[in-house]
Amino acid sequence: QNLSYANGEKYTLADITVKGNTSFNAQTIITYSGLRKGKEVLIPGEEISAAIKKLWNSNLFNDIEIYLIKVEGNSAYLEIRLSDLPELNDIKIAGIKKGKKESLIKDNKLEKGVKVTENLITTSKNYLENKYKKEGYLNTKVNITTFTVEDSIQKARVNMVLSVDKGEKVKISDITFTGNSVLSNKKLRKAMKNTKRKFFLRFLKRSKFIEEKYKEDLESVVNLYKENGYRDARITADTLIKEDKKTISLAITLEEGDEYKFGDISFIGNTVYSDDFLRRKLRIEKGDTYNGVLLEKRIADNTKPDGDDITNLYQDNGYLFSSINPVETNAEGNVIDMEIRIVEGKPVYFNKVTVVGNEKTNDHVIYRELRTRPGELYRKSNVVRTVRELSQLGFFDAEQLSPNFKNANPDEGSIDMEYAVVESGSSQIELQGGYGGGGFIGTLGLSFNNFSLKNIFNKDAYKPIPSGDGQKLALRLQASRFYQTYSFSFSEPWLGGKKPVQFSTSVSHTKQFLYNPQTRDADKDKRFNITGITFGLAKRLSVPDDYFTLSQAVSFQHYDLQNYNTGLFTFGDGYSNNLAYTVGLSRNNTFNDPVFPMGGSNFSVTAKMSIPYSLLNNTDYSALKEERDTNREIEDNPENSTVVRSDARTRVSEIDQERFKWLEFYKVKFKGEWYTKAVDKFVFKSSVEFGFLGAYNQDRGVIPFERFFVGGDGLGSYSLDGRESIALRGYPNQALSTQDGGAIYNKFSLELRYPITLKQSAKIYALSFIEAGGSYDSFRNYSPFDVKRSAGFGVRIFMPAFGLLGIDFGHGFDNIPGQTQKHGWETHFIIGQQF
Amino acid sequence: CSEYQKALKSEDIAVKFKKGEELYNAGKYSKANKLFEQIIPSYRGKPQAEKLMYLNANASYEMEDYYVSSYHFERFVSAYPTSEKIEEATFKSAKSYYKLSPAYSKDQSETITAIEKLQEFVNIFPESEDLSEANQLVKELVFKLEKKAFEIAKQYNHISDFKASMASFDTFIIDFPGAQLREDALYYRFDSAYQLAMKSVEYKKKDRLETAKKYYMSFKQGYANSQYLEKATDKLNDIEEELENYSTKS
Repeated sequence: QNLSYANGEKYTLADITVKGNTSFNAQTIITYSGLRKGKEVLIPGEEISAAIKKLWNSNLFNDIEIYLIKVEGNSAYLEIRLSDLPELNDIKIAGIKKGKKESLIKDNKLEKGVKVTENLITTSKNYLENKYKKEGYLNTKVNITTFTVEDSIQKARVNMVLSVDKGEKVKISDITFTGNSVLSNKKLRKAMKNTKRKFFLRFLKRSKFIEEKYKEDLESVVNLYKENGYRDARITADTLIKEDKKTISLAITLEEGDEYKFGDISFIGNTVYSDDFLRRKLRIEKGDTYNGVLLEKRIADNTKPDGDDITNLYQDNGYLFSSINPVETNAEGNVIDMEIRIVEGKPVYFNKVTVVGNEKTNDHVIYRELRTRPGELYRKSNVVRTVRELSQLGFFDAEQLSPNFKNANPDEGSIDMEYAVVESGSSQIELQGGYGGGGFIGTLGLSFNNFSLKNIFNKDAYKPIPSGDGQKLALRLQASRFYQTYSFSFSEPWLGGKKPVQFSTSVSHTKQFLYNPQTRDADKDKRFNITGITFGLAKRLSVPDDYFTLSQAVSFQHYDLQNYNTGLFTFGDGYSNNLAYTVGLSRNNTFNDPVFPMGGSNFSVTAKMSIPYSLLNNTDYSALKEERDTNREIEDNPENSTVVRSDARTRVSEIDQERFKWLEFYKVKFKGEWYTKAVDKFVFKSSVEFGFLGAYNQDRGVIPFERFFVGGDGLGSYSLDGRESIALRGYPNQALSTQDGGAIYNKFSLELRYPITLKQSAKIYALSFIEAGGSYDSFRNYSPFDVKRSAGFGVRIFMPAFGLLGIDFGHGFDNIPGQTQKHGWETHFIIGQQF
Repeated sequence: CSEYQKALKSEDIAVKFKKGEELYNAGKYSKANKLFEQIIPSYRGKPQAEKLMYLNANASYEMEDYYVSSYHFERFVSAYPTSEKIEEATFKSAKSYYKLSPAYSKDQSETITAIEKLQEFVNIFPESEDLSEANQLVKELVFKLEKKAFEIAKQYNHISDFKASMASFDTFIIDFPGAQLREDALYYRFDSAYQLAMKSVEYKKKDRLETAKKYYMSFKQGYANSQYLEKATDKLNDIEEELENYSTKS
């Protein structure tokens, strides 16, 4: 085998043998090597090297050699010698917590049976050292040793011992700068966002040293100089000094260079906008301190997609292919003259606009929401808004929605647009049983948010339910010993498909039994039924802007009482009808994710009113009121005989039946919510609410229905009588109103939210809140600032299949009516509703 | 313990193959496939594998599990290019995609794949007896794409975005030269132009009326006996009336 490579001779392979410590079949090895009996090869030659390489690459063998053992004339006899790489038998890991071991084994593929190569050992070692360095353990040492398992029967195996010595987390005792005179040490240290000196009060950002972050921070230091006119500033040296096992210090040397100022700024290539106009956009004057970062921001702000910069000015007016480049033309005397070179290109119009990925949702549901349509001028803001509005439909994964530009043609000024959507589950199932309100409550709720009504009789469409037309269908059944509710609702966002006029309807039926204090059970003979139906239309307006919605609804409710006498209902065997018209105006421009809005606001004003019957029916209500008052007095006077009192009671209930046969009222509500982004991902939500229930005819009086109940989680577990539960955390449910409910209320709330994760599968955010609200019996004793206050914190989890779940802990600072002490802590569970 | 259960648990791959084939012939495809899936890895590279893979693919096809059958037939075609079943497999692979193609109003990626696959089949086996069916399927699928584009353009008309409707119909007429819905497209393009012109502000009105008239002409030229002709002509009269204002003014 000492033949030189160049003058290899051609041989025919007569035989190949395999020798060595291997558990593989000889034939397998030969086949794998690519050599085969009867083949003509050059020895030495490429085929032989290739065979060795191939065997090496299999990662199964060690010490691979091929020998020429015999030559007979033209035939050669080869021998492959190799031994198996040892397999990993057992691994012992020291110096890491138990829980972390498994992931370590997984990440490095150190499972039993893996071939132990040098490469494996080195990569595992590097991986671990880097991993802990990234966490701030600068002195991490990893040691890997292997021991052969003495076992002659099985194949070669080794045990591995992997020990990690993380050492102590390294802190930075000091960061020093030399060469800085314009900017103080303090300012420079502040610019280093992730590399901080140790300081006992520093809780949020602990001092630690991470190479990558440190490099970024050095760049921030230079950028800070650049923002202040020192565009030549640079770091000339930086040294890491190990002080002891757990502290280091950093010494940074820098050169500041000279301060520069802006000189003449001229625009070249602009035909659409005048120099003056662009200069006003730029807002940088001759003589200003040179600030490269600001200049870049005013030209193209990469941190904000809808920033107020020159690039967006062009992008929002069709100039998709425009490019804007600032060029320094002169830097004499530390004054920099700039030339802003603009290539405008042709204005671009959309050619084809398509949607892909809608496996469930029908085209017409999506295309009507697009704000970029064929033949229209390209505007970046419209693309952004389309993405926002498509994600708000709730049918698609907001994170995966992407607008793609296709077939860009700068010469013709045309572009195709493709919106790629990914369908997400938009149906929710609520099935729960719980103990509350004195007994077991079972709820079954189904809501389909992308329903298709027209396919309801098409059995092929049931996969598992007919979907794709963007309609909403919800069914809800709830039952306990005391009440049963059935409700059904349906809505179509584009009635007739011509205009965004939303049609909605709902039907509900509630059965309520009176609580019997003796048996502590529901008294089935005493019941109260409510049956209702509502039709509504809501229309998106275009004036004053297209975030406005005008809604109207007609609702009818029939209350049927049987033997149901309470303080509130004096006409125990009567009935009552509620026919009302509701009109509302709302404006919603919150974005982006409906579950966790990052900004925008949401206002609504609604008025609900009945027909003013008292004006039409010629009944003398003042006489009735007088008669009622007299009878009430008789009834309440213990000196009267029982017969007289009972007669009086009957008369009162007759009068009340007359008063409430058809409910006469009006109700006005206002609600406003603002979302403001604070630092980082924190979002403030502030809101104001107000509601007022009044009567047209004071003699007829304010109705006992439709009232406001303030306090608690605000979940209307059953809307007995058109009542509205107003959330006010930190107090028990409905505790802040009188037993009959308030006729007027207001509420102020401030919430700080932080998203923990906004993934499609589960969105989680934490919140803290302060709020205050009050409920008042009539306008006379309304005082908006006589409120009950509370504060607290909580968390929300949104999962597509379950809707919103959450828990809040609220602390009430004031007493609830009838008590003297402050209320204190109260826990609220939230299901399916957003505060 | 049934024979099938025995075969499922058996160690002998030949037993499984035999039982699987029996079940396959009896039309019990789901059970047959369970057995086939167990033994496919063991038969890889062996001569029986060809038959096995075919049976496996066809069983999925018969079960209407077209996602799986399209994939299995495709693999069969690439693994056994000389097989006698190659024509059938190519066709069934393409037809599986055809079956997967959803309603025109949803994402059409499968439709496009199916058209490509069927076209490929037609090109490779021009003598096939499935040829006319393949051509028929392609026609059906192309019509689906046509219908999709048409309905989108028509929806723009419906929601009163006439400009978008006109632009979309223009594209439609170029994209689908022999369109079945061409008559409707020409009519609705005219209708969009007409409505846009009628609702136009004064200084754009004349141009738009003329565009609408032009669209009427190209509609009438192609479809002189159209069912829409009467409606269209009424609208044209409106346009002429409006245009007269301009001629008298000037």
